[in-house]
Amino acid sequence: MREALLIAKREYVERVRSKAFRISTVLIPLAFAAVFGMGAFSGKMAGGARNIVVASNDPVLAQCTRTELLRARTGKNDAKGEQNAPPTQLHVEVESPVAASDLAALDRQVGSKAIDGYLWLRVQPGQAVPEATYVSRGSADFLGADKMQGAIGDALVREALMDHGVAGAQADDLLHDVDLKTRQVKNGKAVASDASKGFWGAYIMAFVLYFAVVFYGMNVAHSVVSEKTSRVFEVLLATAKPESLMAGKLLGVGAAGLTQMAVWIAAVLLLSASALGSELGQGGLAAYGITPLQLAFFVVYFLLGFFFYSALSAGFGATVSQESEVQQFSMILVMPQLVGLMLMVYILGNPSAWPVVLLSLFPPCTPIVMCLRMSAMAVPWWQLALSLVLMVAATYGVLWVASRIYRVGILMYGKRPTLPEILRWLSYS
Amino acid sequence: MNLVELNQISKTYDTKVAVDALSLQIEAGKMFGLLGPNGAGKTSTIRMMIGITLPDSGSVTLFGQPFSRKDLPRVGYLPEERGLYKKMKVIDQLVFLGQLHGLDATQAKTRAHQWCERLQILDAIELKTEELSKGMQQKIQFISTLLHEPELIIMDEPFSGLDPVNTQLLQETLLELKNAGKAILFSTHRMDQVEKLCDSICLIDGGKAVLSGGMRELKSRYPRNHVVIDFEGDNSFVRHPVVAEYKAFAGHVEIRLRDGADAQDLLRAALQNAKIYKFELIEPSLEEIFIRTVGRRVDA
Repeated sequence: MREALLIAKREYVERVRSKAFRISTVLIPLAFAAVFGMGAFSGKMAGGARNIVVASNDPVLAQCTRTELLRARTGKNDAKGEQNAPPTQLHVEVESPVAASDLAALDRQVGSKAIDGYLWLRVQPGQAVPEATYVSRGSADFLGADKMQGAIGDALVREALMDHGVAGAQADDLLHDVDLKTRQVKNGKAVASDASKGFWGAYIMAFVLYFAVVFYGMNVAHSVVSEKTSRVFEVLLATAKPESLMAGKLLGVGAAGLTQMAVWIAAVLLLSASALGSELGQGGLAAYGITPLQLAFFVVYFLLGFFFYSALSAGFGATVSQESEVQQFSMILVMPQLVGLMLMVYILGNPSAWPVVLLSLFPPCTPIVMCLRMSAMAVPWWQLALSLVLMVAATYGVLWVASRIYRVGILMYGKRPTLPEILRWLSYS
Repeated sequence: MNLVELNQISKTYDTKVAVDALSLQIEAGKMFGLLGPNGAGKTSTIRMMIGITLPDSGSVTLFGQPFSRKDLPRVGYLPEERGLYKKMKVIDQLVFLGQLHGLDATQAKTRAHQWCERLQILDAIELKTEELSKGMQQKIQFISTLLHEPELIIMDEPFSGLDPVNTQLLQETLLELKNAGKAILFSTHRMDQVEKLCDSICLIDGGKAVLSGGMRELKSRYPRNHVVIDFEGDNSFVRHPVVAEYKAFAGHVEIRLRDGADAQDLLRAALQNAKIYKFELIEPSLEEIFIRTVGRRVDA
């Protein structure tokens, strides 16, 4: 035990002191922020001032389309959460009646950036639906193409309503979307849920789990291989048991990983305490639909997942002699977790379907799939308990096998062992 | 007292027999040479001696007791494949390895300083290992083996890669340790180094002991049939019937006599035509003994 702790301490101290640690501590959150920020940023960009022109040979339709475009931009009602969208500065002008021959002038205006784009609606006699074209320098970026389509559809309805003498506020009411509320049964009680919040919470947790387990798992493999190539092992083995070496390594790398995450969490807490944070995410984790119970399980699954995959990684690491060979087995570590991420939408939509339940009980997939299920539903207690039992048993099994491979593998150099050879190692004393 | 006793130990890896029913004893206060060509089973034997691997059969006794890991802090092991953490500072590295061998941090630090001073590398103590020359790294490794004052010191090819000055320094250190009562096992394929240093040897080949015993006693088993002559004049004496083979240089010949031949006959013949400055009857080298026993050269 003393040996394992000494080795863990060395591993931890050297790791935390290293330049790579400091750099990754800063760069990784920046990369995350960049990925997450990109969406927000593009949303903000889209929210900038836009001048567009609706041109049509039918002045009534053009006027109605203008109204609907503005309504689509601000959000017709609260259900879709569009009140959070950036304040619209959409200026829509109407040029009507306009003939097809006038379009060249509009093209020039778009080209000289006098306007951002124009929507050309051409109504032909005998046809109920106009021919619609949006012309801009970019794509239809001030609204999604589907929303623009919807707005035109609504405009046609509004025009038809006007023909029937329905106008103004009355037409507004008729064109109002239904406000659909979603509720989620959690622990036997139906509570208000927010699909998009739940999704983000699950997404963040699954991603952090995936990233952390893969990243730190690979760290273990690299560390094993570097000790093997630098031939430090033989010195260590003269006093320490291979099991202590492996345990020390997992604890050391794991502790360094937790330290890094603690730094990030502290940074997030500080940020959210600041003015900027309060603007970004009010209500802390709850804003992302994460409950304390989920958080507790997240930590447990993180630790189990880490030990499961790191032990696997240590075992694999011991079978190779060069850093470059580590990449060859990284896929084996990544695949089961990737399955969870790839099926995320399905899992969130069908958290109690039997394939999903089975997947969440299959130890290599448990951490991510169970975290996803927990954010979509109240997972039955027996399933949570069973997943923990299976995960602990599997982790123990992997540790046992890996330590056997490890104790033989770290003294083997040269040719890569074949699978039958590795299996034979298990029986070596 | 025997600090190490190996009793008929064997180890097989898949189909390759690495060590085959090997027995040997190492006494306190003695330097013991484990000799043999590359691949003879030296490292496998050492690994079993200190429990890195376990023998398939046979027994290992350390410090008079059946092998137990709790005795390992009394052993210092310098593996043939040197290994240090490249990014770690020398002092941190020594303290870590000292602690692994049961020292506390302060003790380890004090001793590391003392040893570095003794081996003239105190300047390097705050540097990272990767910044040191190979020879300096070798010294650090050497110190890490001795820091915890082991009673049994095992060194696998300790002088490989060292310059003559440092080889001398390390040899002297080992002799001091021996005189202080430590048992030293010293494994090498360089027979010439062993001749000067070791009190007894075990020569292994193909995992088996082919020759073992005290150095003096072993050498006395073989007749002194080598003659070195420094002379001036005619060297026709090399064709004397007692000469089995010879190597002639300017004023210097090395001769192997026929079995049972009398060297005095050669001396008389040489004196007739040449002026003799030196006539030395020498014992066979370990290398020659190995060749005679195994029937081939060490590096063949």
